[in-house]
Amino acid sequence: MSRSLGVRRRLALLTAVVLMWPAALAGAAPAAEVFSPKVHPDADDPAAVHGGAYVTGVISDPKTFNLQAAQETSSTEAVGLLFDGLVEMNFRTGEIEPALAESWTLADDRGTWTFRLRRGVKWHDGRPFTAADVDFTLRAAFAPGGVSSERDVLTFDGKPVRWRVVDPLTIQIVMPKPIGFFLRLAGIAILPKHKLEAALAQGGAAFIRAWGVNTPPRELVGTGPYRMMQYVPGQRLSYARWTEYWKTDKQGRKLPYFDRVVTVIVPNLEALRLRFMARETDIYAARPREYADLKAKEREGAFTVIDGREGYGSELLVFNQNPAGVTDPKLTWFRDTRFRRALQHAIDRDGIVAQVYGGRATPAYGPISRGNTVYYNQSLPAFPYDLARAERQLAEAGYVKSGDRLRDGAGNAVAFTLTTNSENNDRVAIGNIVRQDLVKLGIRVTFAPEAFNSLVARLDGSRKWETMIMGLTGSIEPGTGRNVWVSSGSINMWHPGQKKPSAAWEAEIDQLFEQVATEFDQNKRKAAYHRWQQIMSEQSPMLFFTNPKSQVAVRNTIGSVKTGLGGAISPTEILYRRGGGR
Amino acid sequence: MLLGITLITFVVMQLAPGDFLSEMRMNPVVSPERIEQMRHNFGLDQPKPVQYLRWLGGLLRGDFGYSFAFQIPVLDLIGTRVGNTLLLNVSAFLFAWVIAVPLGIYSALNNYRFGDHALTVGALLGISLPTFFTGLLGLYFAYETKWLPIGGMTSVEYDFMDPFGKMADVAWHLVLPVIILGLGGIAGLMRQMRANMLEVMEQDYVRTARSKGLAGGVVIWKHAVRNAINPLITLFGFALGGLLSGSAILENIIGWPGLGNLLLEAVQKKDLYVVMGSLVIGSIMLVTGNLISDLLLAYVDPRVRYD
Repeated sequence: MSRSLGVRRRLALLTAVVLMWPAALAGAAPAAEVFSPKVHPDADDPAAVHGGAYVTGVISDPKTFNLQAAQETSSTEAVGLLFDGLVEMNFRTGEIEPALAESWTLADDRGTWTFRLRRGVKWHDGRPFTAADVDFTLRAAFAPGGVSSERDVLTFDGKPVRWRVVDPLTIQIVMPKPIGFFLRLAGIAILPKHKLEAALAQGGAAFIRAWGVNTPPRELVGTGPYRMMQYVPGQRLSYARWTEYWKTDKQGRKLPYFDRVVTVIVPNLEALRLRFMARETDIYAARPREYADLKAKEREGAFTVIDGREGYGSELLVFNQNPAGVTDPKLTWFRDTRFRRALQHAIDRDGIVAQVYGGRATPAYGPISRGNTVYYNQSLPAFPYDLARAERQLAEAGYVKSGDRLRDGAGNAVAFTLTTNSENNDRVAIGNIVRQDLVKLGIRVTFAPEAFNSLVARLDGSRKWETMIMGLTGSIEPGTGRNVWVSSGSINMWHPGQKKPSAAWEAEIDQLFEQVATEFDQNKRKAAYHRWQQIMSEQSPMLFFTNPKSQVAVRNTIGSVKTGLGGAISPTEILYRRGGGR
Repeated sequence: MLLGITLITFVVMQLAPGDFLSEMRMNPVVSPERIEQMRHNFGLDQPKPVQYLRWLGGLLRGDFGYSFAFQIPVLDLIGTRVGNTLLLNVSAFLFAWVIAVPLGIYSALNNYRFGDHALTVGALLGISLPTFFTGLLGLYFAYETKWLPIGGMTSVEYDFMDPFGKMADVAWHLVLPVIILGLGGIAGLMRQMRANMLEVMEQDYVRTARSKGLAGGVVIWKHAVRNAINPLITLFGFALGGLLSGSAILENIIGWPGLGNLLLEAVQKKDLYVVMGSLVIGSIMLVTGNLISDLLLAYVDPRVRYD
C-alpha cells in the first residue's frame, strides 16, 4: 500500500477502496510511508456525509497562534483544530486514547514511557511527522528564558521530564518520579520543527513571540483535521478540511466531514445569541438562565437545546485562615470548623439554583462536580438549607445570639466583610443571597464586590481579606490543579504557601495529593479523591454553591451531536451537515 | 504635549491595582516561576521610571512597544484595525455633515416655525440618547426586521464574493452603525449651524446685502452661510481628533472590528503599551486635525490670513 497521497486523496470518497485499509495494515511493514489511521470510536453515524460548512462564534479574538504562548481559550480554541497531541481524551468517557502516538509502554521503573508514533502522518505542508517534532516541542517548552505554558505541565516537584529520540517513530519520556496521571498531561500539542526551529534558535523568549496573530495562516502548519485559511481580526477565522487527516470514521471514511469551518468573532454573548437566532451560526453555548427561553424557540429556530451535564466548575465561598491577613477574633472564627460547618446550612443552594441559574445547576457540597462522573463521591452528605439547624450548631460551638446579634464566647459581635469580583454578575447575585441569610443568623456581613485586579492584589499580595466568593473551573483530574488544594500551594485560597500544614486535616490532604500523583491504578486514585472530598466536606474550608449545567443549542442540520463529560459535546471532527449543503 | 499625555496615562495606569499578570497568578496551572520569567521578559521587573523612559525612547525611534497579551508590536496590532475604525467614522462624519448643515440652515430660516420645532425636538433626542442604547436598539431592529445585518463588518460568505460584491457587503454592514453614530453628530452640528446662521442673519452686512436689493438666495448662500460655517470648521478639526475614539462604544456593541474593542480589552487587562500607543496616535490625530482646520479656515475665511 505505498500509493502516493495524491492518489489516496482522490480515492478517499470511494468507501469500498478505503475499507481495504485495515486489512492491508494487518500485514503492514513498519515502513514510514505506510499509513495507519485511527478509527474514531464515536464517528459511528452511517448517515454522515462529507461537505458543507460549519459556522461557530466566539466573543474574543485569539491573542496568539502559538499554543505554547497561549494563556486563554480564545487562543487555544482558534488553533485547536490545527494540532494534535501524542494522546487525546475521549470526550464522552474521559479515557485516554492514542493520537499521534499509536501505542505506548511503561517500563518497570514506572517512570519511563516509550511512545510509538503513528506511521504516515503528514504535516499540512506534506512533510512527514516524526519523533524529531516531538523532541522539538519538548525542547521549546523548556527553552531558557521562555514562558511556555507546557513547561509547568511537564515539571514535577521542580524537576523537568527528560526525553530521548529512540528512532524516527519512537520517543522515550522519563519522569523524575512515577506520575500516575502522566498520560492526561501527554496531550500537549506537537509543533512542526521545520517551521519553528529558526525561532527557537534565538531563544525561549523569541520562540514565544513566534506565530503571533500577524503570522500568515499558511505558515501555521499542523497535523490536525483543519488548516487555517484566514484570520480577519475582529471578524472571523476560517478553516479548510485537511484531506489527509489521520482519523477515519467506523466505515473507514476520512475525517473530518465539513469542508469548511468558520468562526465568527462578535463582541459579546448577546451578539453571539442574536447571530445564532438569525441562523448565521450553527451552535450557541447558552448560559443557564437562557435555557427555558431557548427551549421554547427550538421549533421556530430549527435547533435543539441539549440538556447537558454539570460542568467541572463551581462558585464557592472561602474563609481566610491566614494569620498574615486576618487577626483575632476573626481568625478564630474562620479557623473554627464548627463555625464553618454551621454556615454550610445557612446557604440556600436551591435558592441560588433557581434565582441565579434559572434551575440549570445542581447544589454542590464538595470540590468535585457531579459532572465529573469519574471521580465524584456520591456518598458526600448534603447540607440542607436550614437556618434553625445552623443556629443550633453555632450555639453548640459557643456562639450566642442575643437580640439580633450573634456573639462569640468572648462576647465579640460576629461581623465580617464578604467580597467578590464585581465583573461577575453571578457571583454578585450569590453574594447578595448569602448575605441576607447570614444576617438572619445575626452575623453582620458587609458585602463589598471589587474589581478583579484589586481582588487578586489582596489574595496574592497583602493577603488582607476576610471572606470571598470565587470560582474554580476544575478539570477531570483534580491532581493537575494540586496548587489550589495542598497546604504549600501558591494559590491555596484559605491559607497559601504554608511551610508546614497547620492542621491535621490539611496534612492529610497533602498526603492524599502526593498519593494520587504517583498512583497508576485509577481505582486507587478514585479512592484517594473520595477521601479528599470527604475531608473537604467535614472541614468545610470552602463552601461550594452549585455546579452549573451546560446547555448547548445546535442547529438541527448538524449531525452526530453527542453529549460528553463536563457538559462537552462532540468534537468538530465527527460532526457533519445533514445532506451536505450550505 | 504628547509627553504630558503619555506621562499622565502611564501614572494613572500604575495607580490602579494589579498589572497584566494579575489574572495569571490565580491560574492553578501557572507556576510562580513562570510568572517571574514573564515579568522579566515584559520588562515589568524594572523600576517604573525606567519602564516609562524605555518606552519613550522606543517611541522616538518609531517603536511603540510590544503588546503583553498579543506578543506582537503595538503598531501591527493597531494597524490591522485602524482602517476599519476610520472607515466607520469618516462615513458617519460625512453622513452627519451632509445632513446637519442643510438642516441647520433650514431650521434657522424657518426660525420658531413647526419645522424648526420638530428638528429641535429631534436634535435633543439625538443628543441625549447614548450610542450604547441606540446601538442595541438598532441591533434588535435589524434582527426583528431582517432588513439589515446584525452587526459586524462583513458576511460569512465575504471571501467568496467578487470585488464589487465585497464593497456592497461592507456598505450594507455600514448602514446601521453610520446612522447610529451619525445621529448623535447631526443633532449637535445642526444646532450649532442654526445658532451660527441666526447670529449671522442679524448682522449688519446681511441687512446691507438685503437692502442693496440682492436676491434672497444670494444673500443666504453667499453672505450668511459662508460666514456661519466658519465656527463649524474649527469643530471639524476637533472631530478629526475624535475619529479614532468616537465610535469605541458603538464598535463594542455592534461588533465593528475597529480599535474600540481592542482598546477596551487592553484597558481592562492593563496591556499598558497598547493603551499608551493608541493614545499617542489619537493625540497626533487631534493635533493634525486642528492644523487642518486652521488651514481650511484660512482658505475659507478671508479675514484669517497667515502671512
